[in-house]
Amino acid sequence: MAYTINVNGKSYNVDVPGDTPLLWVLRDVLGLTGTKYGCGIEVCNACNVWIDGSAEKCCKLPVKEVTQVKITTIEGLSADGQSHPIQKAWIAEQVPQCGYCQSGMIMRAAAMGSKPTDAAIDSMPNICVCGTYNRIKKAIKRAGTGEFGAYPPKP
Amino acid sequence: MSDRTIHLHQEEVKITHASEMDRRSFLKKAGGLLLAFSFEAGANRAEAAGAGTPITNYIHIGADETVTVFVGGGEMGQGIWSGLAMGVAEDLFVAWEKIAVEPITASLSWLTGGSSGVSRRMTTFRTAGATARTLLVNAAAQTWGVDPSVCAVNNGAVINTTTNASLTYGQLAPLAATLPVPATVVLVPSTSFRVLGTAVPRKDLYGKVNGQAKYGLDVVVPGMVFAAIKNCPVAGGTPKLPITKPVGALAVVALDSAVAVVATNSWAAMNLANSLSVSWNYPTDYLTQNSTNFATTASTLMNSTKPYVAGADNSGAVYTAETAGTGAAGLSTAAKTLELNYSFPYLAHCCMEVLNCTASVTPTSCELWVPTQAPNSCLKTAQALLPTLPASAFKVNVMLMGGGLGRKFEQDYVKQALQVAIALGKPVKLMYSREQDMGRDYYRPMAVSRVRVGIDAANNITALHIRNVVPSISNQRGVVLGAKGDSAGTEGVVGRSYALPNRLVEYVQHTSPIPVGYWRSVGNSFNAFVMETAIDEIATALGYDPYLLRRQLLANDARSLDVLDAAAQLGGWNTPVAAGHARGIALAPSFGSIVAQVVDISMPTTTSIKVHSVACVVDCGFAMNPNSVEAQMQGGIMHGLSAAMWGQVTFSKGVASAKNFSNYPAAKMKDAPVITVQIINSGAAASGTGEPGVPPIAPAIAAAYFKLTGKRIRTLPFFPGVTMSG
Repeated sequence: MAYTINVNGKSYNVDVPGDTPLLWVLRDVLGLTGTKYGCGIEVCNACNVWIDGSAEKCCKLPVKEVTQVKITTIEGLSADGQSHPIQKAWIAEQVPQCGYCQSGMIMRAAAMGSKPTDAAIDSMPNICVCGTYNRIKKAIKRAGTGEFGAYPPKP
Repeated sequence: MSDRTIHLHQEEVKITHASEMDRRSFLKKAGGLLLAFSFEAGANRAEAAGAGTPITNYIHIGADETVTVFVGGGEMGQGIWSGLAMGVAEDLFVAWEKIAVEPITASLSWLTGGSSGVSRRMTTFRTAGATARTLLVNAAAQTWGVDPSVCAVNNGAVINTTTNASLTYGQLAPLAATLPVPATVVLVPSTSFRVLGTAVPRKDLYGKVNGQAKYGLDVVVPGMVFAAIKNCPVAGGTPKLPITKPVGALAVVALDSAVAVVATNSWAAMNLANSLSVSWNYPTDYLTQNSTNFATTASTLMNSTKPYVAGADNSGAVYTAETAGTGAAGLSTAAKTLELNYSFPYLAHCCMEVLNCTASVTPTSCELWVPTQAPNSCLKTAQALLPTLPASAFKVNVMLMGGGLGRKFEQDYVKQALQVAIALGKPVKLMYSREQDMGRDYYRPMAVSRVRVGIDAANNITALHIRNVVPSISNQRGVVLGAKGDSAGTEGVVGRSYALPNRLVEYVQHTSPIPVGYWRSVGNSFNAFVMETAIDEIATALGYDPYLLRRQLLANDARSLDVLDAAAQLGGWNTPVAAGHARGIALAPSFGSIVAQVVDISMPTTTSIKVHSVACVVDCGFAMNPNSVEAQMQGGIMHGLSAAMWGQVTFSKGVASAKNFSNYPAAKMKDAPVITVQIINSGAAASGTGEPGVPPIAPAIAAAYFKLTGKRIRTLPFFPGVTMSG
């Protein structure tokens, strides 16, 4: 069946079973492979995207349930792929190692806004097996200083 | 890292102008200066012998001023591609920003492991950079009709110091490409480094913050179909035929010890594989493949009296890994003895990126896209399956790895993808679900260790007897063990520099058939716990401070002592600890580097210990990129912390307990201590840092836990059976 979804400001018609998770529509149908599969059971959060500006897991989220929302993926976080303050801070702090979980981390971090509390940062549910947590925290705080500009409004 | 003249064309580095075939066949770099360089003998002998071809890397300097370094090995987060390119930038006198890095073709690439990727090969890359620089200088000198000594280099240009004329590398590259490669080159003295030893940014991070980086699982090949693996849950089992193709599947393909289900997308393939009913022929002994049996076997083997005899059947034999002084003899006359029994579980790798491989096989070609630590092994796997194709028909595209951790040496998933592609005659992307990835691993071996310590009336340690019972990674791969047994079973307890003059370390091979493999830091991952916890327990028995006991025992190892002292200082060992907190300390040398860590913990619950901070000091000889070294220490600590807290795979009838992160947890942000890393550039030979951060963390936490609670943890993990939600 065909569904219309809005991803990164563009409308797409996708012809897939309605229970197909958004993750696999993004990756296999739309070719937006920045969003990652890690566990498939909503534990690791490598699949984090924004649903109406809120960080959500999408590895079990049926596509039929996201036809009325704005979906933002890592590819759509900034127009040029590097200008969101979080992306700049991630480079400045040299956060990624293997990088596989970082799309989800960045979408989760950017959704918290520019000045999340320590408690909010500590509650990030994303797994990074490389163990980049210290640098993630530093990068979030550095982005919050305004050094890399103001956070743009969410879609 | 000192100033040295490198003589080329001898047994060491071999540097030549690249052939036209190299340019055309895969580099696609017309014009300019293109140098090919193999490794010095010490860095490549084993791999080259195995590969049957010299391993070759390249530098290209284009007329457009681009400088490209073609680097082998696998990039799994450790920064190998940027790390080695730094050496070229240093000795070529090019700004780091101007250097581009690309992977080389698999047939020329090498295994990435043993924490050696950057340190062991740096001299080669530096020498190649110096050779290119010398050729460019010679080209400039010839152009100007002056002696090369009149020329200086600066930031991608050669300058005539008499006239101040200047020619860029790009301008000089065509002429340089025609000049003979010099017999000797001079490397930049370490006191003049501009790139090495500095925290230059990695080249591969932009794509990792915007979703553009392509990992193996992101590969798209025109016309490809999607395959999901359903492995036999017991290693060595085979599928019973026939297998009915489920509705919605394009195909099912029976494999050696698995079935692949093929569909039009990843999710459909995984769902169909998950629900597919397959009957298996299990190995005849599968009912005995239980963790309880493995423990019983270990107990029996721990008391083995069968000596190793060269050439004999050595099952259950005791191998002597290390002996010194009077060995264990002093135990019988000691005033006091300790017997300490430690136990370690099987561990899964669980790289964030699940196993996957994309393969395209036609009657005349074979192409792979694979995240791998062993590109050349992938090539051999393909050649073994397609023996009639000529070497030129194979191409292996080395993809970024979403973690490697030792799992991506293995060839199981590569062979499976090839077999499915051959069966279907069309390109296939084969993937494991997380459950399949955890369920059929080459696990970190279980290990059981018994430590006996003899102490005399004057509190001297008069005997140390360690016996380890561990499955053998190398014997499972067909290697007949020598007199010392499997070194991976004893590394971390042998070769220690503690002044324990009478010691005996023994190895007994555990017979468990569960497949085992290399897991970040390998045997050090448990042996550091054995040695360091034993030292902590000895300190307790003697009433000594564990830091001071180590100081005493390391009196003859200045390098370790410096690391230990620095960690104690950094971790505030001699300062008051906060109420409800405790500190622990541990030291572990591995892969040529020495690491000490001091942890500060509090609040143990039934599911975790709060680790507030880790003070980590590393001596890796010389830190090529301190930022990367810090990252590797932080990463190693987090990896070791997750494993120590929760890592455990048990077996029942040969089936692994680990299913997903839900019952095989990994640390999250809330679990991460503040990790402070201090680097000591001792001047020792540069050594690796990918693994050495792992070993000390578990014993350091266990020592602090004892201080806080009075309870000794001798079995890992600390909290078995913990589950995790999202």
